[in-house]
Amino acid sequence: MADSEGKLGRFVDGLVENKVFNLLANWVLVPYWAWRYPTKKIEGGPRPSSQPGDNIQRMMNLVMRLKDTSPIGRAKAVRVLTQHADEIFSGVDNVATVHFARFDLIGDYICMLSVYDGDFSNYIRDFICTIGSFFDDIIALVEGGDGVRPTEEHVEEFIDWVHARDLFQAPDFATDLFALNDAARGVPPGKVHALRTLPRELILQLRVNPNLSLGGGYRAYPGVTSAQIRQKMGIGW
Amino acid sequence: MDAPPKIVEQLLRALELPDSDPNLRPVHAIGIGATGAFVASRIARDYCVAEHFSGEREIKVTVRFSNGSGSAVQRDGWSDVRGMATRFHLANEAATDLIAMTLSEFFAPTPEAFLDFLTVAKPEPARVLSPLRKFLDLLQLLQPMPNPYRGQTYSPVPGAIRYADENTGAQLAVMHAANIGAPVSYARATYHAVHAFAIRAPDGVRRWVRFSWRPVAGVLNTDPTKAPIDNYLKQDLCDRLARGPARFTLMMTVGEPGDDPNDSSRPWPLPRLRVVMGELSLKHVIEDEVTEKLSFNPWRLVEGIEPSNDPVLQTRRDAYCVSSQRRGGAPCPFSGSSTHGGQ
Repeated sequence: MADSEGKLGRFVDGLVENKVFNLLANWVLVPYWAWRYPTKKIEGGPRPSSQPGDNIQRMMNLVMRLKDTSPIGRAKAVRVLTQHADEIFSGVDNVATVHFARFDLIGDYICMLSVYDGDFSNYIRDFICTIGSFFDDIIALVEGGDGVRPTEEHVEEFIDWVHARDLFQAPDFATDLFALNDAARGVPPGKVHALRTLPRELILQLRVNPNLSLGGGYRAYPGVTSAQIRQKMGIGW
Repeated sequence: MDAPPKIVEQLLRALELPDSDPNLRPVHAIGIGATGAFVASRIARDYCVAEHFSGEREIKVTVRFSNGSGSAVQRDGWSDVRGMATRFHLANEAATDLIAMTLSEFFAPTPEAFLDFLTVAKPEPARVLSPLRKFLDLLQLLQPMPNPYRGQTYSPVPGAIRYADENTGAQLAVMHAANIGAPVSYARATYHAVHAFAIRAPDGVRRWVRFSWRPVAGVLNTDPTKAPIDNYLKQDLCDRLARGPARFTLMMTVGEPGDDPNDSSRPWPLPRLRVVMGELSLKHVIEDEVTEKLSFNPWRLVEGIEPSNDPVLQTRRDAYCVSSQRRGGAPCPFSGSSTHGGQ
């Protein structure tokens, strides 16, 4: 514990954890700084990279809000998943670039979390071909999806729709957030920010982008494709 | 040895602290040594032909753990980068060193930039910001400045932050260093050898790699809200090794085209191939007199491992030699006569 000298100093040091101060900060300070430094939502999904390792085991965190969030509405989403289980497993097997994929119901949202190799657009195109009818049924239950059904007839629109709901992936190196926020704001690259403003940059991004994936995540076997694992393990492809 | 390059002299001068001791190392002044053994993993030999990765036998090692500061006053509980220098003792009295620290990147890409950093981050009187200043910082949603520890008379942190405010490349290291904390044990921290080295496989393939030691016991820091203890890390290691070995896994990250092997101020992206190269078991603490005579050098390499052109790594070769010479350590292998071995 460092020495904060004096009662007033200790009081100010404690404000970060003080509920009243945090309430006021959320009501007053955050909107004020958002007005001073307008911040746009950073788009979701992995960022473009020409390096092979960055294009392997990419993460998709698709978060879709249900139209009907009642237990009955959520049960309908579960039923769609159950009814399409064979279609999903068969489709993902044949896409062949997927390490894992799963669906979670979290509060009012249905989430598809997956790890895949290669290009995002092609990944979604493959899904439309292999499990398009499942997506048509699940999208009917979520907000904002009516314009992209049937997916087979709205391929590009559906790719954009998924991209818009794929979580922003916070950078693995925290200070990279400066450049990402600047790019979203349209600020030319190269602007140097004061280091201690990093918490403010994060708060402003979280204000416009409540859900995010924290970094690229841990990988037990980075740099290896799904096909390589199957081939090396002697289980196909 | 020949006269060291001017930059080495300048760096060593810039690293001097008000409470440095010329008989100790200019940084990582306080430390403790231990001995043990390294066993290469079954696949290490597929990646590197170096003797300690061959897996043919257990390799004896000597390790020196250290606090990062060049201060001669022991402050184990203060937030600081820690070091882990490892010597692998090979056949025919040859040896190779792997020097690592708890920071995952260096402060600057070149010795000249590091000198600029040290000049701006020169220790200045430690002071508590006024409550008004702290409050104004909170209103701006800024990262609070750390309060100095009780008894802390100087601090490099304000200067380091000023430097990072002007130099984007230093921001990651300064941010990590400012928040790094104090480990509960030297055996409970991850240590990164931040420089890249080229390794050669038996099939002739050459790869750029970076190494790091991962503690098998897990990473754990002290509680920063509690008063720091000045002297506990040496005793912890003695007690820990009396109970059983402290183990570390040696992980190797393989770089890709586009990952700069010559810039240690920038970590490589996390999704890079990682290979388990072996396990280190430390068993016995050794006498301080022995440890402090040791002269590690990141250039003490063996067949199968080559240095990069990282200019910081180049300068460290000479800086370690000067450090050794000044404090009366074991002769530096790059001062003329020998190329391997010795301590």
